[in-house]
Amino acid sequence: MSAVIEIAGLRKTFHTLRQGRRIAVDGFDMLVEAGQVHGFLGPNGSGKTTTLRALLGLVRPDAGRMRVLGAESPEHLPDVAGRVGAIVESPQFFANFTAHRTLRLLALAGGVPTARVDEVLEQVGLRDRGDERVKGYSLGMKQRLAVASALLKSPELLILDEPANGLDPAGIREMRDLTRSLAEAGVTVLLSSHILAEIQLICDHVTIVSRGRRVAYGPVEEVLAGFDQHQWRVRVADPEQAGQLLGRAGLSVTVAPDHLVVTGVQDPETISRTLGEQGMWVRELVPLRPDLESVFLELTGDHEHVAVPRQVDGAPPNDGVIDLDVRESREVDA
Amino acid sequence: MNLVRAELERLAARRFVQLMVVLLAAAFAVTVVTTLAGSHRPGPAELSRAQAQAAESVRQMEMTYDRCLRIREGTLPPGENDYLPRDCAQIDPAQIEELPSAADYLSGVFVFAKEAEPLLYFLIAFLTLFGFLVGASYIGADLNSGGVVNLLLWRPRRPLVLAAKLGTLLGGLLGLSVLASAAYLGAFWLIGQASGLVGRTGGDFWPSLAAIWVRGLMLVLLAAALGFAVATLGRHTSAALGTVAAYVVVWELGARLVFQILEVGRPDRYMLSSYLAAWLSGEVRLWDNNACGPGISGYCDGSYTLTWTSGLVVLLGLTGALVAAAFTVFRRRDLI
Ligand SMILES: Nc1ncnc2c1ncn2[C@@H]1O[C@H](COP(=O)(O)OP(=O)(O)OP(=O)(O)O)[C@@H](O)[C@H]1O
Ligand SMILES: [Mg+2]
Repeated sequence: MSAVIEIAGLRKTFHTLRQGRRIAVDGFDMLVEAGQVHGFLGPNGSGKTTTLRALLGLVRPDAGRMRVLGAESPEHLPDVAGRVGAIVESPQFFANFTAHRTLRLLALAGGVPTARVDEVLEQVGLRDRGDERVKGYSLGMKQRLAVASALLKSPELLILDEPANGLDPAGIREMRDLTRSLAEAGVTVLLSSHILAEIQLICDHVTIVSRGRRVAYGPVEEVLAGFDQHQWRVRVADPEQAGQLLGRAGLSVTVAPDHLVVTGVQDPETISRTLGEQGMWVRELVPLRPDLESVFLELTGDHEHVAVPRQVDGAPPNDGVIDLDVRESREVDA
Repeated sequence: MNLVRAELERLAARRFVQLMVVLLAAAFAVTVVTTLAGSHRPGPAELSRAQAQAAESVRQMEMTYDRCLRIREGTLPPGENDYLPRDCAQIDPAQIEELPSAADYLSGVFVFAKEAEPLLYFLIAFLTLFGFLVGASYIGADLNSGGVVNLLLWRPRRPLVLAAKLGTLLGGLLGLSVLASAAYLGAFWLIGQASGLVGRTGGDFWPSLAAIWVRGLMLVLLAAALGFAVATLGRHTSAALGTVAAYVVVWELGARLVFQILEVGRPDRYMLSSYLAAWLSGEVRLWDNNACGPGISGYCDGSYTLTWTSGLVVLLGLTGALVAAAFTVFRRRDLI
């Protein structure tokens, strides 16, 4: 697979008069390969937008190397700019121009046939209102226009910084379908969003950033698996007694009034057999799997966390003492 | 090339530009209408009376000159009311640039040759202001509305993008100015033809008008480039307006006052307005307050001149420096 975005050791410090120095990106690495739909996650102010701006030549990094579609950025960015569609943090448009004119001017400047304008307006659902001034647009409509501007070039790489910002539920779903169909057509997509359920639905890979550094990356399944503590929720008639039984069998158990949580068990058969052999029957056995949200909060939360980037390879985390806010998964596969 | 086409379209679609063009057209229409209303074609009787008056006045001048010569020769005693210059050549009608003509004695008649120059200066003033404001707001609004960022995502070569914008601005402005001045002078020439007089347009009338025009166009372009550069440096249209206002208040007015209090000689040398005037009118004569102090006896000419060359050097140098600074800063700036 060929690398579409490569970032190594990116560093950017902003200097402002009032606040002084502010490190926005602090030795950040990223790899996006062709064909991926790559989620880019991080708390507010963690440096996502700054990274994308640096990648697209809008801000000047202090250190680090970046390549887009094989071209060094920013030096050789002009060679590939025509193949990269991007929106960075709710782009602004000249309020007095219509959407149509805004896109037409971009198409003209970029040497794209202006017939594309109607196509992309159609694609983002703005066809009927393309002749209105942007001034009169709602937040979501401006966002759609932004996406349209990114699509105008028929890009190979699409970079979307919070495209769902301001979109209604139908809009979010349309955006998801659009992203999927583009991905199916072979477009590589880098998507930053705070709607983690959305990311989990569309993305196959993620990079999670915290305070300007990468804290996790890899295929979504593997990142999640890396935080899987192999926990099971068990319901039995007498949780207290069952807890003692399982504890004696050497399992790690937490007892709640109406259920038990068993941690660190690969095969649930161990649980049901241990209990069954003592004449206790399991009423419910549910795996508790981490979702992106819990992993995200764990990785980027406020508590002291050594930000060692890990490419999660399916092995359980070895530091053991993670208090995951683990949600139960829907399917009961006991 | 595509970039320039897009920028030209952007420029033409700007409402501010459209508004200013409408304003220009309106001012133009109002002047044309009032001129037309206040002018008529003189009849033969009116014309011959005016011609007689002009001839009479020329004859008077010749007589005065003649008297002067004779008084200087000593063949005539000077009278009480005689105006006697040091050198009679100063009032030699043959050496005077513009002898009275019939046009001076016609009232309610528009004479093109007499009005062309002030009309042209008015147009240049308007276009200069227009150029400055459009230059500043074109890039200022674009930087502010994120238009530049959107464009850079398509064309990441910043110097090229900025140069395309500046080039389009100057080219468009030049085109508009040429059209406007042709239409403007043409219309008034026609008024002169149809319901007034064209007047004396021989000699160096057209060459000198053309010289003013060329200098004026240059000024319009310089003003636009200046507005563009300052707005780019300050990231905002108002940066340009503020800078000009601040310059006028602090330097042209404030510093001039301070120079006067400190009795600095030739303060005008440090004022842009002097160079502006020198460039536009070919030369300005300024007064040096300290040259003829109390210690100097006899005749003292405390005046000095600034020529159009020094005007051009100063204006071009300033604009060039600001444009270069704008390009340098824009190349490296973080665009958020
Ligand atoms: N122009 C700027 N001047 C000063 N500091 C800045 C500037 N832009 C960003 N920062 C700082 O850099 C850090 C990273 O900001 P950035 O916009 O990259 O975050 P983000 O991950 O995109 O956040 P969000 O999820 O809220 O969009 C923040 O602390 C921010 O305050
Ligand atoms: Mg952001």
